[in-house]
Amino acid sequence: MAAAAPAPVAGHAHAVLRGRLCDPAFVHSCLRSSPDTNYSKLKYLVASSVSEACNNSVLLLGPRGCGKGAVLDMVLEDLRKEHPDAISVIRLNGMLHSDDNCATKEIARQLCLEHQLSFSKMASSDDNTEFMIDMLRECGLAHKTVIFVLEEFDLFAQGKQRLLYSLLDAMQSLTSQAVVIGMSCRLDADQLLEKRVRSRFSHRKLLFVPSSLDDIQRLMEHLLMLEKDSSLPTNYVTEYNSRLTSIFSNKKFKGVLDSLTDTDATTSNILRFLFRVVSYMDMESGLLSMECFTDALSSMQRQPKMDSLQDLSILELYILVCMNRLEDKEQKSYNFNTIIKEYKSIQDAYKTSDKYATTVCFRAFEHLLDRELITFADTKGRNVALEYRPVKLLISSRELAQSLNLNTTCPAVLQKLLDRERYM
Amino acid sequence: MSQPITPRRATRATAFAPDSPTSPPKSRPKSSHRRQLLAAAAGPKEGEPLDALLDALPCRRAQATDLLRLLAPAPALPVLLHGGAATGKTRALLLALRHLRPSPRLVYAALRSLPSPRALFASILSQLNALSSSSSSRQRVPDKPSDFIAALRDALAAVVAQGELVYLVFDNLEVARGWDKGGQLLSLLLRLHDLLRLPQVVLVYVSSATPDAYYTMTGSVEPNHVYFPDYTVDEARDILMRGQSNPKLYSSFLGVVLKPLFRVTRRVDELAALLEPLFRRYCEPLGDLQAVPDEGMRRRLFEHLQPHLAVALNETFSVPMRASVEKCKDDISGGKASVKRQFGGRDGLSSELEFHMSVSAKYLLLSAFLASRNPATLDAALFDSTGGSDNRNRKRKSSQASIDRKDTMAEEILMKGPGTFPLERLLAIFQCITSVSEDVLDEVDCPDSMMDGSGTNALMSDVLLQLSTLCNSNFLFKSRSCPLEGSARYRSNIDEDLALKVARSVGFPLSKYMYRR
Repeated sequence: MAAAAPAPVAGHAHAVLRGRLCDPAFVHSCLRSSPDTNYSKLKYLVASSVSEACNNSVLLLGPRGCGKGAVLDMVLEDLRKEHPDAISVIRLNGMLHSDDNCATKEIARQLCLEHQLSFSKMASSDDNTEFMIDMLRECGLAHKTVIFVLEEFDLFAQGKQRLLYSLLDAMQSLTSQAVVIGMSCRLDADQLLEKRVRSRFSHRKLLFVPSSLDDIQRLMEHLLMLEKDSSLPTNYVTEYNSRLTSIFSNKKFKGVLDSLTDTDATTSNILRFLFRVVSYMDMESGLLSMECFTDALSSMQRQPKMDSLQDLSILELYILVCMNRLEDKEQKSYNFNTIIKEYKSIQDAYKTSDKYATTVCFRAFEHLLDRELITFADTKGRNVALEYRPVKLLISSRELAQSLNLNTTCPAVLQKLLDRERYM
Repeated sequence: MSQPITPRRATRATAFAPDSPTSPPKSRPKSSHRRQLLAAAAGPKEGEPLDALLDALPCRRAQATDLLRLLAPAPALPVLLHGGAATGKTRALLLALRHLRPSPRLVYAALRSLPSPRALFASILSQLNALSSSSSSRQRVPDKPSDFIAALRDALAAVVAQGELVYLVFDNLEVARGWDKGGQLLSLLLRLHDLLRLPQVVLVYVSSATPDAYYTMTGSVEPNHVYFPDYTVDEARDILMRGQSNPKLYSSFLGVVLKPLFRVTRRVDELAALLEPLFRRYCEPLGDLQAVPDEGMRRRLFEHLQPHLAVALNETFSVPMRASVEKCKDDISGGKASVKRQFGGRDGLSSELEFHMSVSAKYLLLSAFLASRNPATLDAALFDSTGGSDNRNRKRKSSQASIDRKDTMAEEILMKGPGTFPLERLLAIFQCITSVSEDVLDEVDCPDSMMDGSGTNALMSDVLLQLSTLCNSNFLFKSRSCPLEGSARYRSNIDEDLALKVARSVGFPLSKYMYRR
């Protein structure tokens, strides 16, 4: 019986599931079995250039979070097992090594590390480049493949592309034996290359796309189903799995899945969702329920702007409404002083109890700036006093109207002010 | 009481410390309080039950449990805490981390107090080196991101190898957007999870900006969000009620004041600072502070408080100077009449000047104010030998068209703010107004000036020195030299109220010289 399952079992299952979700190798391991995936294509490509001792280059393209890096890691791991001494991997990241000198230095450092050589920090960039070319030749002679992994490939294509050129140029010689694998979330990454680089690049591209709904369901099962032969008690596993199967076949679950994938169907988004689901697990019984899924979905679909609009005090709302009125009057720019003028005129017209001094309004104005619901319209002019700098709204009037409707404490005058000017 | 009240700095101490929201705010800065928390979070304290944690985080039950669930067992995806200022983000996080068992290593970097990427890198690495205590302490601080990542990975790997968890916290993430190359740094920080590939390291970001502020820079692993909403009225009341010596009295006080103040601000730290002097006033008619109020007494106390409440609403957030605090004391004896007079004044501010300044500096400030507000073309008309009276006659004759033109000009002034002026114009106006007021000065005896018959000369001395003083104290703003004219231009930063106060203190008829449509 589920309720009788002691808490340690739940804790253990919880830890297992979290460990799975945080381990990219496990997440993508189901690709290994199926043919005709990017995994098998990439593996074939790299494995053939290792075994046939030739040079190659390939680009992995696709939006972030589709598993480019994870697939590559799996391929490299497999190759390391199959050819234990025949490959060495050099990893560079465009965010860190887009500077040419820095990149050559890093290559030299990793090459030294791989081949148990001592690395000199003082070596110049030319020395490092020369060293790299020598090493490529040596490795080629020893039938060892050097695999260069360039993450954020598009960032290497900024500037003079000296690194890419020297890498790809070194691969033109017969002696060398290297594979360059670029990864980028820019689908036009190969168009960024200069002519001299592009001509040396083999135009192999693998496209990664967000998975289909069926794949996602399979992925979820793969991630959440517990195995029978694990260290967990068998009756707990059966109970857990049958619960999960019934959830998966539930119609409501299909709705949750649809609304999740409508916004973002990448694997990373699914992982984040499942992570939340697992964190909502009932720690008494160690079972997942439909509520876990719906709660996780609602917490992922928050609208931050609407949330912070709900957090405003009445005075802050008044200022927003004033700004909205000014924008509707097509005043091309306005600042705190004009807002206050508008505010005062409203207060004079309606005689509300919310008439406050300018200093108080200014503090509310600053709160709004802090919350980033409004911002300065210009970037320069830092030396002008705040009340004279032109500002603009960062929310639409629809959002404002919606939040006023939701706000129970909002005075009726405010809604009237907002509504009226819309029909005028 | 003589201590100036500083609403911003005492925030967490007054708003959250369960001991004393009503005692005079200690000038304990936020950072030291936070450091205490940090020290406590790092120290090997005995495990406390969940209830104690939730008790220390009033009205944050949902957020705290959410946070614990997301952070709890070791491998965890990055988490982003966001929400407005003073909603308890950092406190909840640090207390939750302290609650975790086995207690993890905590590396805490508040970007607000680390002014540059280099300082951030140094702080994180030094915390890690101190923790792992073995590796070379004489390391050079890396300033390139690549070196930093390499060093960080090594340091973290060393800690993780000992079987420990590391929680890497980046507080005030929104600040980095304003930094030089801040966008690059942020995308680096937000992608640390991918770059490090260490499952035993959990990344936590705290930001007062909403997550969409980082969308352009985020990487493949977007953090999980935990939202901290502002407190509602009831929650704010619960928080403010904590640790009151006489809860009944305080709750009747809050029943009167909280709702109106809540319409102005919802930040508990500001409310706490604001309520404290009001409560003291509320208690004034009471002999015994421990008395339990009945209906009649409540009404009496409310009637006593009501006029003060109206003032307080409009004085919200203005930090009283020492002088005006003294004055408030006098008002207490003065009773209702003086309060009303004060309220009747412009924006409820006191009409007295709250600082001392030499007479020549005052005149200089006034002339700068005039130079900034008046169009330069009117100088001749305003300051010619016949004085202001003739000028007023000329004004009346203006046609409708010119009035319209002046209207748009006034609008423009409202938009553009004070104008800039060269030094020559300032000096000319200064000379004019000091010479005009010479006869006034003869009659009025100024106690704090050393003027005699040759007053003008005395005033003109050291004028540049005074000017630089005014610039340094931010009354005037000095812009970089204009490319066309080559000389520096100035702008006055003071508003009309202050200018009028200064004019009144030297007996100068400022309004006569001010250009109005």
